[in-house]
Amino acid sequence: MKIACFVEAYNFKDSSERFALSKFKSTAESMGHVFEFIFKDDIPKIQNYDALFIRATTDPSSSAYIISRLAEQSGLKVIDDPHSIRTCSNKAIINDLFLKNNIPTPKSLLFTGDYSEEALEHIFKTLGLPVIIKTPYTRFSSHVEKANDEKEFIELSKHLMRKSKVLVLQEYIRSDFDWRVGILQNKILYLCKYCIPEGGWKVKSKINGKNVWGDTIAIPRDSISPELKEISIKLSKCVGCGLYGLDVKETDRGYKVIEINDNPSIYNGYEDAVDADIYEKIISALVS
Amino acid sequence: MIIVSEDEDDSDSNPLFFLRQPVHDSVFNINHDYRYLRMGYYVSAHAETFGVEVTPSCTEIMDAYRNPLLMEKAKRNGLPTNDYRLITSPCDLGTPAMLFAVNPFTNNSMKVVNSSEKLPGVIRKMSYDARFPVSMHPLTGEVMEIIQMFGESTNEETSVFTKKFFEIFNIPICKLIVQMDERGVILNHCEPAMKKEVKWDIVHEKVHEIKQGK
Repeated sequence: MKIACFVEAYNFKDSSERFALSKFKSTAESMGHVFEFIFKDDIPKIQNYDALFIRATTDPSSSAYIISRLAEQSGLKVIDDPHSIRTCSNKAIINDLFLKNNIPTPKSLLFTGDYSEEALEHIFKTLGLPVIIKTPYTRFSSHVEKANDEKEFIELSKHLMRKSKVLVLQEYIRSDFDWRVGILQNKILYLCKYCIPEGGWKVKSKINGKNVWGDTIAIPRDSISPELKEISIKLSKCVGCGLYGLDVKETDRGYKVIEINDNPSIYNGYEDAVDADIYEKIISALVS
Repeated sequence: MIIVSEDEDDSDSNPLFFLRQPVHDSVFNINHDYRYLRMGYYVSAHAETFGVEVTPSCTEIMDAYRNPLLMEKAKRNGLPTNDYRLITSPCDLGTPAMLFAVNPFTNNSMKVVNSSEKLPGVIRKMSYDARFPVSMHPLTGEVMEIIQMFGESTNEETSVFTKKFFEIFNIPICKLIVQMDERGVILNHCEPAMKKEVKWDIVHEKVHEIKQGK
């Protein structure tokens, strides 16, 4: 089969990502398939392929959405499919999905800019302080802020509302790491701990003016706890049958899902460090 | 069926209130702007998350508002288009041409370029130095903007076209950018209408018909 891998130039900048992409290619070729990297100028040629694997950043506003939808309409097998992109790219929609399907999450509210005394009181009474403020399109911990008091909440939320009509507010849960559960076709693909860097409060934190990423620790997927496995698969089934990365906090009140992402990062030496067969499994899913 | 509209006269629920409630009935979402991350989009997304039927669906919204998807769907359904190209650098399509940005930032993005010398500069700017594609259409006729409301418009010349557009795309209110030439009306682009451009009396009439189950 002929697999197109949609990428942008930035996908080749980091050596770990570049090496992971070359592993996808060599794995597909060793399985007897053609695997070609395609770029946005190649979008009109997508019907010449049998399957599409997207590694460029996805969002309904991006070129990746256009190629995903065109590929779906041409009958290709697609990872990430347009429905998964639309759902996972928007944290406000994800918030709805959690509520509808009783997924355990930190307490959350949607905020549309009501700064009345009653509205603010309701927010702080429900979520406590600090409060996490997210734009719907947050990625890689960007556009996520932590407000420690009401004044900071008003300042930060007003700033973010310039970019979005809707914000997601979340209870802050302190932790040393987030579980990252990689899921493919509703099965556990890999398991990692994404650590919070020292002095920070999210996986990519600004510390002394510099962006610092926490460590990634891969854990054998078979060692996942039954409770985390059940929550993860239940949630992935609510979205679809693609490739997803769930971020989950472990608390003394049980697991709390922060978000589900389409197009999860796969870097050589990180997500694949223990379960090295993830390349083969993804290629198999594309040609099945 | 719940009518969710920004126009209070028609509405069973306004968009902000609707977003805070669970949904158990099908939804008709009336808005002048369905763009991604705008209220019109969120109403449809909220309804879909609760598994109910909604007009327009998020897929329909994206198919209409992203230019290459609009062109491909129109072609498949026999709505006249011309040969557009998706480009990041000048191609042999030549001028005069209409250009539409395919990036997350631009709304009213049409640029008409008559001179081939100006083309590279305009494409460079619209593509943010080749970071995003630009949809390039040949210019063969008179360019017109039409406000489409439930298949109707205020322009008699385009009434058959707008009716067919609504049947295919299912977008209750939008602005269409078209060309008129010897072949008739040719679709080039779809974008949100401005609220003041919408003939709300036509919308009220249509909503009344929907409520009556016509």
